[in-house]
Amino acid sequence: MSLIIFIEITCFIIAVICLIKDADMTWRSMALFLLITCITEITGKLLKHAHQHNQWVYNIFLVFEASFTSFMFSNIIGKYINSRPLFLSGLALILLLYVYEVIDHGFFVFNNLTATVMSVIFVVYCFYYYYLLIKDEQSIDLQRSAPFWWVAGALFFYFGSTVVNLFLSFLQDVSVAGHNITYFIFTALTVILYSCWSYSFICKKWLTTSRS
Amino acid sequence: MQKMANHIQELILIATLIFLLAPVFVILYILVYNRRKIKHIEEKEQMKLAFDAEIVKTQLEVQEQTMQNIGADLHDNIGQLLSLSSLTLSSIQLDDLTKAREKIDAAIDLTGRSIKEMRLLGKLLQGDQLLGVGLSEAICHEINWIEKSGKYQVDYLHEGEMPATSNLDKDLILFRILQEVMNNIIKHSFATKINIKLAYIAQNMELHIDDNGVGFDALSLHAAHNGMGLQNMQKRARIVGGEVTIWSLQNEGTRISVIIPYP
Repeated sequence: MSLIIFIEITCFIIAVICLIKDADMTWRSMALFLLITCITEITGKLLKHAHQHNQWVYNIFLVFEASFTSFMFSNIIGKYINSRPLFLSGLALILLLYVYEVIDHGFFVFNNLTATVMSVIFVVYCFYYYYLLIKDEQSIDLQRSAPFWWVAGALFFYFGSTVVNLFLSFLQDVSVAGHNITYFIFTALTVILYSCWSYSFICKKWLTTSRS
Repeated sequence: MQKMANHIQELILIATLIFLLAPVFVILYILVYNRRKIKHIEEKEQMKLAFDAEIVKTQLEVQEQTMQNIGADLHDNIGQLLSLSSLTLSSIQLDDLTKAREKIDAAIDLTGRSIKEMRLLGKLLQGDQLLGVGLSEAICHEINWIEKSGKYQVDYLHEGEMPATSNLDKDLILFRILQEVMNNIIKHSFATKINIKLAYIAQNMELHIDDNGVGFDALSLHAAHNGMGLQNMQKRARIVGGEVTIWSLQNEGTRISVIIPYP
């Protein structure tokens, strides 16, 4: 089992333990999203081992990723502003690009442009959330704030992915210990993402327990 | 050519690593900023608590001062008048009706004066509540009480139009400073003439008090940290963003100005 699948399964288990009884449906849905993530990752790996195309699996996953992540951002930023128009516009743009790419090169090639634009959109959401957080007059204990750590994980992952995607053509030629450097970067980004998310789920559990 | 390509690759790698570190700095910045925000909120709360405590203390001091004034009035004025009435009534001899009538009239006069004094005392008792009606009104009552002793000639001038909305906390602080200054004048200055001016100029409430008393060396008093009353005045004025200025020289009287942003 690869490190990425291991950390994804661990995060999924933590999500189930911490969020299954959460009052907020958006947070509860994270367990379902992580289950889909684990299934996608395992299916992708199995297809790769069987020497079959697996990019269509990640294309399907892209739909879930865009929806669930936007849903979460909408919930988190919605505490400060009416976030619905912003997220519906973001989703519409992603959908438009997705359809364009599918028409352009078919379903069996990964929608790279959609993934890159989606990452940029999510990075913008992350910065917007932090801007609203700084502007907010109320103080929050950030070390125990579930939304803060969830967004931190997303920022690391999507910002990192965008940067790597931008320099991909140059980085592809760099190899370390028999692997391409992008493999190590993406593994590190995934570890950071799921560590931050796991911690945010634990924070959410603390908050839920203390409120009830 | 190969060397150049390797160099570019290295640069790209370094740039990628720098970009990957960017979120770390963003998150660290937000954490530090939030910590400062929490500290600032805590400091604000502490300042508010200190301010509230000072206001309560000032209120208590105003009440205590009023009680002291009442006590002194009861002892020195009303007590004396009633003792005299009692003495006059007890000395009446009914066999001498003319003298008895004179004494009864004197007792009636003394009782009337006692009633008048009691009424004034009643108003003094409301002194700390008078701030609700207005600072100027409260100052007038304080002056009435001081003038009653006959030892001081007090001139009061009220300048400028008062703002539509008053600030009770600031009124209370100004009134307490006035009481404190008056106490100092009565206890130490041997003054005969007191001038009080209350003015509202350019969103500042100004209270100026001067006397023709013996004065004191203001500089040495500050250096010796002996003027606790004066320091209290400064402290109180500062908590509402104001300032107290004291001019005084030996045998040249004292002038005190209090300027507070208002309302």
